[in-house]
Amino acid sequence: MTIDAAFGSGSLRILIADDNQSDRMILHAILTRQGHEVVMATDGMEAVEAFHRENPQMVLLDAMMPRMDGLEAARQIKAAAGEQLVPIIFLTSLSDPESLASCLEVGGDDFLSKPYNRVILRAKINAFRRMRELHQSLQKERDLSHRRNEQMLHEQEMARRVFDNIAHRGCLGAENIRYEASPMSIFNGDVLFASPKPSGGMHLFVSDFTGHGLPAAIGAVPLAEIFYGMTAKGFAISDILRETNRKLQAILPPGVFCCAAMVDLNLKSGHAEVWNGGLPNGYLLRHDGSTDELRSRHLPLGILPADRFSAACERHSMEVGEHLLLCSDGVMESVNGEGEMFGEERILEVIAGGGAPSDVFERLREAVRSFSEGVGSEDDITILDVAMADESLLEAVEPEVLPDTGAGPLDWEMSYELRNETLARFNPVPLLLHICMDVPGLRLFSGELYTIITELFNNALEHGVLRLPSSLKDSPAGFSRYYSERERLLGEITQGAVSIRLEHRSDAQRRGGRLLITVEDSGDGFSEEALSQSLAHNGLSGRGLALVRQFCNNVRLCGKGNCIEAEFVWHTGRSESRSGVFEGGRQP
Amino acid sequence: MSITTERSDDGSTLTIHIQGRFDFSSHQAFRHSYEGADSSITHYVIDMSETTYLDSSALGMLLLLRDYAGGEKSDVRIENCNGDVRRILTISNFEQLFQIDD
Amino acid sequence: MSDQQHLDHEALTELRDVMGDEFNILINTFLEDADERLRQITEAARAEDAASFRKVAHSFKGSSINIGAPILADCCFAAEQAGKEENLSHSAEQIAAIEGELATVSEQLRRYMQD
Repeated sequence: MTIDAAFGSGSLRILIADDNQSDRMILHAILTRQGHEVVMATDGMEAVEAFHRENPQMVLLDAMMPRMDGLEAARQIKAAAGEQLVPIIFLTSLSDPESLASCLEVGGDDFLSKPYNRVILRAKINAFRRMRELHQSLQKERDLSHRRNEQMLHEQEMARRVFDNIAHRGCLGAENIRYEASPMSIFNGDVLFASPKPSGGMHLFVSDFTGHGLPAAIGAVPLAEIFYGMTAKGFAISDILRETNRKLQAILPPGVFCCAAMVDLNLKSGHAEVWNGGLPNGYLLRHDGSTDELRSRHLPLGILPADRFSAACERHSMEVGEHLLLCSDGVMESVNGEGEMFGEERILEVIAGGGAPSDVFERLREAVRSFSEGVGSEDDITILDVAMADESLLEAVEPEVLPDTGAGPLDWEMSYELRNETLARFNPVPLLLHICMDVPGLRLFSGELYTIITELFNNALEHGVLRLPSSLKDSPAGFSRYYSERERLLGEITQGAVSIRLEHRSDAQRRGGRLLITVEDSGDGFSEEALSQSLAHNGLSGRGLALVRQFCNNVRLCGKGNCIEAEFVWHTGRSESRSGVFEGGRQP
Repeated sequence: MSITTERSDDGSTLTIHIQGRFDFSSHQAFRHSYEGADSSITHYVIDMSETTYLDSSALGMLLLLRDYAGGEKSDVRIENCNGDVRRILTISNFEQLFQIDD
Repeated sequence: MSDQQHLDHEALTELRDVMGDEFNILINTFLEDADERLRQITEAARAEDAASFRKVAHSFKGSSINIGAPILADCCFAAEQAGKEENLSHSAEQIAAIEGELATVSEQLRRYMQD
């Protein structure tokens, strides 16, 4: 549209509209001598046409002309110019102040009196040219800023999609969960996760990174991997907290940390374990109208080194229908028109406002919304409301955990052998357990498998390789000696080996399977008699193999007695262990 | 794994917190946590809120404590167990020997 | 009024400087337009069209100012005011004044062109 590029600095294309030919000639002469290009029109209508056709950068208009007078022409030209600044100077033979002022009032940017004075005209043109240039540079900046903003929004949209992909494995849609997570809060790094546990119940996580925008939101990615991955593999809340803290501590820059709360909701036993590090008070809403505060008792995640980090949770019993409420500090910090903050008092007011625990979430959400209505876009709110529900909720949720028990490695075997000094330095059990957890069906039994593999390994190492007599553990003093001997012997070890073999096969329908665990040591072996003796033993020793026997279908001695084979059978639809023991009972 | 202790205000109860895995590597620290105290302790509480795992040697250690605390006449309570820990205690019938609070 | 000159010589010198070679063309253009305006204003008075009377007078006044003929401009202004007030009772005198002044101005301008 504009033709600035065609002209060097200084010269402009100027439209003149005057019904007087001699006046036009004079103006034309003055302007061309000053180096400008001149477009002529003889009345208002021609002026508007010429404007559309030639796109001048400035217009000189006679106020009174036939057909369309100057004022109407000015109005149309301004409209056609749109965003561009096209100064309009009225040409007038009026001289009284009121008339001159009215030229400006009706839309002109300036006036030029007759007789036309070239010095004055030059000065006015220069002034308007400077104004145009300023206007254009402001527009450029505005456009640039606009583009940058668009780009940022686009990036945030991308981050959100990545985030959604990670979080989609969760159960935020479960019936006992309601939540509010505004787009602003997510972009600012607020995180809201929920995942069912293989053993029943669910883990929930709310967090709020320091900092804003994309950098904060990026922290959510490793968080999600750890939370969902470890929960699905049956890890406990304290393990997950420790790993999360360790990871964040390693990757976050100093000064960036993660205020968070995590909940382990056990539907079977009717308990919630709560860990709060840096999030505002959470609330446990009871049927009788009372409220328990879930205070922040820990430092936020990502600050403390592993040896000082505490994953201690608070344990709360909850009846079905009682609710747990957690918010990020965006709720308390919402402001209204007078700049007041919503604050904790108002949260407490909402809670105390009567009604059932299930009503509080909606009322809180509504209260915050109407409080900060009309005040900019600070909408940075995350609220999580979880109800204690009946165990039967799990059945609806479980399929999400094991979407396909046919997936994962079902048919495999592996051997792992530790030899000599490595026996003293390395515990292979976590690694072997991890391998087993790749079988989705085994994730419900992580506890049992850990016990089985640990007890068999320790048995092989202590009795087989180190030849420690289990009878030592029969007395308190002997118990102590047993373990100090263990330490000494391991420290001096030069020869010896323990090998663990795992073999897994699934059944024909792929809804169950069998894991065979075989542990062999380099010792002389035991007799059947010795084995059954230790299995039947009620003393301080022998408990290890007794536990293994409880968890497995079959335990037998093989090889020359230096090898124990344990068979573990699993199938879906049962989340309790083989021996029929449940995780605590719901108190009547 | 770490073990910390706490005395009640009236001095009669000793609470032992076990953090992490309670296995054979804990035996010295565990024994140390109760053997040094004076005889005015009549109640023992084992707080397992941060205990992730229990193995057979830990069972043995608990039995040692019980023995130290008076055997049949002892008052040892185990609290705040997670699912895995609880399962092992139950399988081993430790409810018959200890008061286990959920 | 009688102290004023018929032509503003300073202004005309300036104009000559601005117009350069086109100065004569400008003067001729002015004179032609002036004759046309005189014809138009006479017609407007005859038709008792105060609005047109006013507009033509205003336009004539403008070009007179620009060419440097102040007395002529004043005559036009008087006519413009009358037209604005919609009082054409004195239009004949006003037109006569304009015509007379125009004759004087024309003659002086022609002398300018010869220089």
